[in-house]
Amino acid sequence: MTGWTEIVLAALLISDLSLAAASRLYHCIKLAALQGLLLGLLPLVIWNWQESPPHWELLLVAAANIVIKCVALPCLLARAMRRANVRRELEPLAGYSASLLIALTLAGASFYFCSRLGIAPDSPSLLAAPVAFTTMLIGLFIIIARRKAITQAIGFLTFENGIAVFGTGMMLDWGLLVELGILLDVFVLVFVMGIAVFQISREFDHIDADRLNRLGDRPVHAAGDTAESAEVNES
Amino acid sequence: MITLLLVVEPLLFAAAAFAAGTRRAVLRALLTGGAALHLILTLGCLLLDRDTTAFRRRGVELLAADTTALVFLGITSVLFLLVAVHTLLWLPAANRCEYRTGNGGGSPRMLRENLYTGGLLAFLSMMSLVILARNFGLLWVAIEATTLVSAPLIAFHRSPGALEAMWKYLLICSVGIGFALFGTLMLANAGRCADGTILGLNIDTLLQFSNRLNPVWFKAAFIFALAGYGTKMGLAPFHTWLPDAHSEAPATVSALLSGALLNCSFLALIRFLEVAPVDLRGFCSELLGALGILSLATAAFFIIRQSDFKRMLAYSSVEHMGLAALLWSLGCVDYSLLHLCGHSLIKMMLFLVAGNLLLAYGTRSVAAVGELFATVPRNATVWLLGLFLICGTPPSPLFVTEYLLVAEAPLWLGATVLLLLFAVFCGMSQAFLRMAMGNCTNRQPENVPVRAAERLWPVPVFAALLTLAGGLVLTCLLNRGGL
Repeated sequence: MTGWTEIVLAALLISDLSLAAASRLYHCIKLAALQGLLLGLLPLVIWNWQESPPHWELLLVAAANIVIKCVALPCLLARAMRRANVRRELEPLAGYSASLLIALTLAGASFYFCSRLGIAPDSPSLLAAPVAFTTMLIGLFIIIARRKAITQAIGFLTFENGIAVFGTGMMLDWGLLVELGILLDVFVLVFVMGIAVFQISREFDHIDADRLNRLGDRPVHAAGDTAESAEVNES
Repeated sequence: MITLLLVVEPLLFAAAAFAAGTRRAVLRALLTGGAALHLILTLGCLLLDRDTTAFRRRGVELLAADTTALVFLGITSVLFLLVAVHTLLWLPAANRCEYRTGNGGGSPRMLRENLYTGGLLAFLSMMSLVILARNFGLLWVAIEATTLVSAPLIAFHRSPGALEAMWKYLLICSVGIGFALFGTLMLANAGRCADGTILGLNIDTLLQFSNRLNPVWFKAAFIFALAGYGTKMGLAPFHTWLPDAHSEAPATVSALLSGALLNCSFLALIRFLEVAPVDLRGFCSELLGALGILSLATAAFFIIRQSDFKRMLAYSSVEHMGLAALLWSLGCVDYSLLHLCGHSLIKMMLFLVAGNLLLAYGTRSVAAVGELFATVPRNATVWLLGLFLICGTPPSPLFVTEYLLVAEAPLWLGATVLLLLFAVFCGMSQAFLRMAMGNCTNRQPENVPVRAAERLWPVPVFAALLTLAGGLVLTCLLNRGGL
């Protein structure tokens, strides 16, 4: 409670904003790894060390978080990136300066919203809820505003990090089993997404998710109409 | 302890199948053996009382089978056994057609047979976990795990369409379920009482103390859970992944997705509804009912003039999930469960027959299939029977539940539902009758795929007989005023 919590949360906020403006995929993956590290540290800095040393379950969850979200997932993503042979997010649906502006707006909106919400006064940090909301919203924004399937996977990871920040920051306890289950799910999800990205790049010669629009409900005679599929992509 | 076995047993069989490599006989034995053993364990669960079957850790129930869970467990288990038997017949037939004609329904396979079998069994295990979980966190983990194990099954054939469907399924469902995780966290927050007690996420504790939940946080939690699990369940407007995934997956996987997985997602929502504080019951039911009627309308809109028969079945699933949600929101809980069971059986049968037609004709287009009675008479008979059953013609079990829905609902709602059901019936029967009796340009000669498809009749016919028998009993009960 010596300000370290605020420092970690502020670092998370900065990583969110840089993620919204990052164009090179490798850079994005490194930022996602940084978020994983910060997320793993968060329960440790929130813990009140003067009163008692933390119990082993907390340490185990923190260690598992760091191993999976900071090491394993970025490695999987980097591998998928190399195999799909992409380096940059070219021509995103929203430009980088515009993205940064939107990200700032989202952050401002979350702070305003949380100031109105009246968070319980016993929560460890006033920053936790707004940072969690910002991270979730920016994750969703990345999923919507980027073309490459792999960037969407990074966006999902950010979204999930935001939910985890909310859980840790509000000191909500899942229990060890569920916590590890969630981590395992996220790990397998990114693993499967990596395989999907590879197969898509092999089959289509690109991984632009907005061009994945063959399926849809077209009228029988007008096969060229893809408006319905575009909607599917966005949601 | 049986409940733990129900989850672990298919997982062990899945691992064995994964290790079995290319030995097909072993794989098939594992698939049916796993399914049959699961059914036996389910029967054990039905016969024993809840305390003996529950699995506890540190005195807290983690897995247990209450009445609702038993209904879902039974239907999932029966369905999986039927699909497993059909897979035994279908896979060799598809292999043979592929070998003879060079294409057995499309693109090269992405999954080897051992991965496919293992995936199916792991899917069963995760669905059992969803049904039996007594903790909201565990429930979420299990639902997400069902997405993960079923996504590769959708891309069984590595066609562009299947990969696209798999990507959408993964992304849309994961984000949706992410919202549900957030909703679960909010529920945990709602359970923090002013006096410092923390209710936690155990379902039984929450059921007991539901009136102590903070109403504002619970409202928020329910909205997020509805959006999240509603995505997985295929409620409009979150259904967009569903027609793609169900139409691109192989028939057996579509049957499981539609017949079992959608039910499991609904069960997750039911758990939230059960723990709602009394004051908020009305609010939750209204939201659920609104999404239900919206799903019905959306499905009716897209079924009319639908050009792809598997997509049509997928939209019909959206429709029936909407009806089940509507029944639940009107307070007819038992009828809603009955509707889900009937829908599962009929839809499984229809998807399996659709797979047979796909095998015979090599296309999913309604316009390119015709003269079914001349080419594949057995499949055509079951196909038409399925049409009448799914549209709720008596003595279908769906007729009974839909009748009760209209009878229970206020006049305007009943009229709207009837109108939409009629639209669905028109749309579906136009396509089905055209396929069965209309002319077609590429009439199939009596070739290998057609003969193979014709031999795949046993499971759909059995499902049809089962549904008819159940429907007759229900109709008699309704007639005597027993419902």
